[in-house]
Amino acid sequence: MDWEPKIVAFLCNWCSYAGADLAGVSRFQYPPNIRIIRVPCSGRVSANMILSALRSGADGVLVSGCHPGDCHYISGNLHARRRFSVLKNFLEFLGIEPGRLNFSWVSASEGEQFATVVREVTERVKALGPATRLVKRIEA
Amino acid sequence: MTVKHAELTQEIQRQAKELLASGEVAAFLGFSAGSLPMTTRPFVARTPQEAERLVWNSFCTVNLANYLPALLKSLEPPRSPKDPPPTGPLPKVGVLATGCWSRNIVVQIQENQVDRSRLVILGVPSRGMVDRKKVLAALQGKEVLEAQEDDHSLRLKGKWGETELSRWAVVRDNCQSCRHPNPVLFDRLLDAASERQAQAPFSQIEAIEAMSSDERWQWFQQAFASCIRCYACRNACPLCYCSTCFVDDNRPQWVGKALNAPDVLTFHILRAFHCAGRCTDCGACESVCPMGIKVRLLTQKLSKDILTLFGAEAGMDVSVPPPFTTYAPSDQNPFECDTCSSKGKKE
Amino acid sequence: MNNTKGSVLVIGGGITGVQTALDLADSGFYVYLVERTAAIGGVMSQLDKTFPTNDCSACILSPKLVECGRHLNIQLLTLSELVSLKGEPGNFRAVIRENPRYVDANKCIACGMCAEKCPKVVPNEFNNGLGTRKAAYLKFPQAVPLKYAIDAKHCIWLNKPGRCGACAKACPAGAINFDDKPKEHILEVGAVALALGFETYDPSLLDFTGYGRLKNVVTSLEFERLLSPSGPCLGHMERPSDHAIPKRIAWLQCVGSRDINRACNAYCSSVCCMYAIKQAVIAKEHAAGHLDATIFYMDMRTHGKDFEKYYERAKASGISFIRSRVHSVWPAGQAVHTQKGFEYGHDLLVRYSDEDGHLHEETFDLVVLSVGMQLSASARGLLSKLDIPLNSHGFVPFSSFSPNSTSKPGIFICGPVSDPKDIPQSVTEASSVAAEISALLSSSRWQTTKTKEFPPERDITAEPPRIGVFVCHCGINIASVVNVKEVAEYARTLPGVVFVQDNLFTCSQDTIVNMVATIRREGLNRVVVASCTPRTHEPLFQETLREAGLNPYLFEMANIRDQDSWVHQNEPEKATQKAKDLVRMAIAKVRGDQPLSANVVPVHKRALVIGGGVTGMVAALSLADQGFPVDLVEKAEGLGGNARRLYRTWQGEEVAEMLQSLIDRTTNHANITLHSSTTLERTSGSVGRFKTTLSNGKEIEHGVAILAVGGQPWRPSGEWQYLYGEEERVKTLLEVDELCMADENVKATGRSPLLSQLNHVVFIHCVGSRIPERPYCSRVCCTHAIDQALKLKELNPRMNIYMLYRDIRTYGQREILYQEARAKGIVFIRYDLNNRPTLTKDGDTLCIGAMDHVLKRPLVIHPDMVVLASAVEPRRDAGELSKFFKCSINAEGFLMEAHAKLRPVDFATDGVFLAGLCHYPKPLEESIAQAKAAAVRAVRVLAQDVVPAESAVAVVNPAKCVTCGVCAKICPYSAISKDPVLQKASVDASLCKGCGACVASCRSDAITLKNMGNEQIMAAIEAAMCNCGG
Repeated sequence: MDWEPKIVAFLCNWCSYAGADLAGVSRFQYPPNIRIIRVPCSGRVSANMILSALRSGADGVLVSGCHPGDCHYISGNLHARRRFSVLKNFLEFLGIEPGRLNFSWVSASEGEQFATVVREVTERVKALGPATRLVKRIEA
Repeated sequence: MTVKHAELTQEIQRQAKELLASGEVAAFLGFSAGSLPMTTRPFVARTPQEAERLVWNSFCTVNLANYLPALLKSLEPPRSPKDPPPTGPLPKVGVLATGCWSRNIVVQIQENQVDRSRLVILGVPSRGMVDRKKVLAALQGKEVLEAQEDDHSLRLKGKWGETELSRWAVVRDNCQSCRHPNPVLFDRLLDAASERQAQAPFSQIEAIEAMSSDERWQWFQQAFASCIRCYACRNACPLCYCSTCFVDDNRPQWVGKALNAPDVLTFHILRAFHCAGRCTDCGACESVCPMGIKVRLLTQKLSKDILTLFGAEAGMDVSVPPPFTTYAPSDQNPFECDTCSSKGKKE
Repeated sequence: MNNTKGSVLVIGGGITGVQTALDLADSGFYVYLVERTAAIGGVMSQLDKTFPTNDCSACILSPKLVECGRHLNIQLLTLSELVSLKGEPGNFRAVIRENPRYVDANKCIACGMCAEKCPKVVPNEFNNGLGTRKAAYLKFPQAVPLKYAIDAKHCIWLNKPGRCGACAKACPAGAINFDDKPKEHILEVGAVALALGFETYDPSLLDFTGYGRLKNVVTSLEFERLLSPSGPCLGHMERPSDHAIPKRIAWLQCVGSRDINRACNAYCSSVCCMYAIKQAVIAKEHAAGHLDATIFYMDMRTHGKDFEKYYERAKASGISFIRSRVHSVWPAGQAVHTQKGFEYGHDLLVRYSDEDGHLHEETFDLVVLSVGMQLSASARGLLSKLDIPLNSHGFVPFSSFSPNSTSKPGIFICGPVSDPKDIPQSVTEASSVAAEISALLSSSRWQTTKTKEFPPERDITAEPPRIGVFVCHCGINIASVVNVKEVAEYARTLPGVVFVQDNLFTCSQDTIVNMVATIRREGLNRVVVASCTPRTHEPLFQETLREAGLNPYLFEMANIRDQDSWVHQNEPEKATQKAKDLVRMAIAKVRGDQPLSANVVPVHKRALVIGGGVTGMVAALSLADQGFPVDLVEKAEGLGGNARRLYRTWQGEEVAEMLQSLIDRTTNHANITLHSSTTLERTSGSVGRFKTTLSNGKEIEHGVAILAVGGQPWRPSGEWQYLYGEEERVKTLLEVDELCMADENVKATGRSPLLSQLNHVVFIHCVGSRIPERPYCSRVCCTHAIDQALKLKELNPRMNIYMLYRDIRTYGQREILYQEARAKGIVFIRYDLNNRPTLTKDGDTLCIGAMDHVLKRPLVIHPDMVVLASAVEPRRDAGELSKFFKCSINAEGFLMEAHAKLRPVDFATDGVFLAGLCHYPKPLEESIAQAKAAAVRAVRVLAQDVVPAESAVAVVNPAKCVTCGVCAKICPYSAISKDPVLQKASVDASLCKGCGACVASCRSDAITLKNMGNEQIMAAIEAAMCNCGG
């Protein structure tokens, strides 16, 4: 089977993006399915952005920010936490498979943790197969 | 025999007349009878005489809060956007408010859409409004030419004769599952508080939650398959007041404009999500849907989760910040239950 | 009239000198940086990777070199030497001789034609003689300045004029100048910094290593070059004799260090254990795991921050560690007699005896000698010219209380000139010296500096996007995994892209210069660099855009190294596909980027220092001496912290007197406001304008903050308690120090000191350190314990002293104490975690049970006193304090610096710095250097009138705003309010930090973040998902 999922990851600049860099510096290997979009803060990530990724055909979405209490912008991740706990329940209520939407806290010092998260998310999304729900296909 | 709604109609007329006559309010927002049986329409009385046309019955399904911002604005002196805002007292408006409408007014106050000092709120504990679609279904589509109600029943007359229905049986779903029939914000209360309290307000949601993921996706697709994107649900909602709605926006285009499933469903997801933490379950969206889609199920799911996760309900108190404008350090952590095997190291 | 000169002479262009130069130049002084060779960068530029983060050395160093090369207030003088120095602090006159380069630096375009045509092949000293270069050469690919030079010793023309001249014919720029002559520069400077670096010990003096005779015995620095992508085998790790990839490598530690028998250096070189582990780890990576790596060592000295964890990881990865001093290295196999004499195979036989005394022989493909550090002959010559004496170990002596001063006022030292040390410590000292000089010359700050002018910005508003894409090979860091050419070709096909180039090192100075020219020539108005992480390199490229007259925000990076080639090393095709996707995403995003105006914040010229221990006081005094007011906050009633309990330094300097004078100066300094018995209540703001409320009710506005909150001795407990707290004869090191100080008073009364009455003393090392709960070495305890033992021996030479240890880590010249201790009969008994010493009580008798590691026999000691060398741990409130300034702590609770190697005293949060034990356990001299370093890093901010503020701020579209106020409620900086006229939300750009929480919260899409708008993010999402081509 040569299907490989594509996963869009929104990483906050200060913790998770730095954690991803550290994973690189430490050469922690992880699957190449993830496409990282650097955002200033997990609080910058809106429901629209997540839906946009799903609609564009992302097989999985990962949002990762600083641990609660560590936000570079004081409270961005805490607002994000509220928003995403509701959004995740909501989308799963509507039949989006659990596992498509993933959230994690990864700090700048957790390179290995980042690699682990990516491995887990990729596994989970692979097990689900290609995304079809909400995906907008434009027929050529 | 006294009928509660008839009594209330008289009381509403009396108080509206008084408010208009004394000049305390410049306009009074209520309902007048509709042109068809079992209908009403929102009505602005501007003189004591016009106040005599006000009615109160089981068919007042439109959410009056939806009209408040525009009505208030219409009473301000005209100005261009670059002029400073008017100073000094502005004309007031009298408005009827049930539990959910009063909560919408609270949300509007929190969101700077109405000015509390310009409102005279006449609180009306709600006995539940009737769902016309349920009546028509009970009558199997027979045309109603005349409708009469008393406290517990509806008498419907047509060419076929007369049918009596239990009023509660045809009350709207959202009223049946209502947890807050009494106004939370008012200047005058027109009736004794209702003691009605739904026992299992989220039973419909729980039924869907019990389904498998695949079944839910099937349900969701089918439930919204007939949507024609008329946006009546949006237009009836007092929470939808953006000057440009996301569905109409091209930069960026968050949702396509077509009638295919991904676009339709995305519209409904985002519309509902925009109401998260703000929706009072007034049912206006569902009442107006020409296709009979149960759009409320989306907002109700959000309300349920927000209540469970954060103990928050929209519009209960002006001084309590809306759930999505605040946070608690102790909020449940969706990030960790997701990656149980790799929990953050912090305590 | 002010006679103090505002210029500084820095001698030595390694990382230490470069850091001193940058700190001084940014603090308002003009710097002459003198380097003996043709380019700056020093030994660090020769290294492949650096421990403990495995960062690519060139990658982290290169931006600093480029910054130094481009700095308006740093003048590089390469191929230059000091001829003479006269004068006094504040006013020196230095004569510098600049040797001829024979290439006109103003004309050279670094095209390399001269080197290509030069017929003379000579050994390449940058590769330590492995491989060759030409007589016309560039020192290394990222050299700064990026100018070729001609080596007069080897050039044919210069030796026999008229014989060659190929380079001059080939040079398209006419830059070759055979008539170049030495130039003399006379510089007037206020102070001198000596960053003379080190050279590695020459192991050909040690016959047993076979070095010089056996080709496959290399030094560690040579091995770095074998690993390096810019090295002689392009990073393929080939052994010299036959270019085979070694499968078995041995590292021999302490070659030329800790060795008094063979007339080598007696001291420990401090860095070799870590670099050997790192080389083994990296070598294993190169060999994709097919490598047996063995390290022969005496004591494993992993005493730095995060080193012990690195060591543990290396052990877990299968690297063998054998505790043995290797007897000899021989050629393996039978000799074959040929016409040339006896010839041997390529492999090597290592003979060693294990701990039980059994002899072993093991065959290796390659042997790496972990050679130590010493001062170079040229450094010694320079020091003698300056009349600065060396100690018996060949280092410049230093005082622990002023570690960077020399016997000559106005001349300062930093780096391994005074003691072997690693990069972070050298960089710290570099900054510390800058602090000393900045204080000395503070009256002339900004007097001799120049101001940078950028060309006016081109207005691009009416232009369609013209995007330039620069794809980096990063040596082989990217190119060994990702097909860079293919990515570049793909980028060319994307809409809006008008120029694509791939570069070996996009951050090297030539590429940067070339990029400026390209932007101008091609009329580019957007730039994408696909290379490493924007977190380190974005500023460099943004400045490049400015130099090309382009707004710096018309720029994006695609991180195809840290987040691609490095993490998908075994999947080159998928990594290449991902690189294309990342480039496509960056292009999609850059298309929407708009020019942003620079926001600035005025700097409140006042500092807050938290912590009144030695570190905090030194930092406060340094800031105060540099001319800036300081608020010093101390939780306790009095100043002094842990130092109040310290008796003396390892160099024998008594602490109490120094401490008292420090307290007196701090208390009386006009620029210092002391807040004792005070804590922080809250802090807001950011660099340039923090506002802190103290528990004494005072509110302080300050531009910077230094956290020097210290550490604390761990109170032995659990399985490491050893009756501590229950039995008064069991003490900690600090408690014995207190007894020493008490005894000094007793001695003054003429009675005999109490400690001298002891007969048997046992020290237990590593109590609470290097265990799973505290997986780090506390760094100070070995030296402290041994010094204390020597003190006890002074008091009573007949005292029996036993040291129960795991590894003795008397790094640097502290090793001498260890040698002295053994010479004086102190008994060292090693234990490991499976065989910990026990302490029991038999009636009133203390019984230590241990296993003699040599005799393999249990042994019992009945001591009069047991001293526990207990761990140093971070203060529990350090984490809380760090949160005030949004800084992070590591897993052990120590504050986390911005970069382990090159930003050791900065936090990731701008304007906040750290020093002392809250960073990691360390002795006084290192805390003091760190304190001063933090001070000058802070002065880099305070010396400015304004600091740049966030430019990518939120902005409201009033036409869409419905004034719902959600954004204002969410904004953590209260930057959003209602415009009184428009009645719409409005962002105060000076308060906005650009987090974008408001944008995500706005249902109406009425608020956006500049260059991070919804449309741009959506474009990036779509680009990520698009399966178009590539």
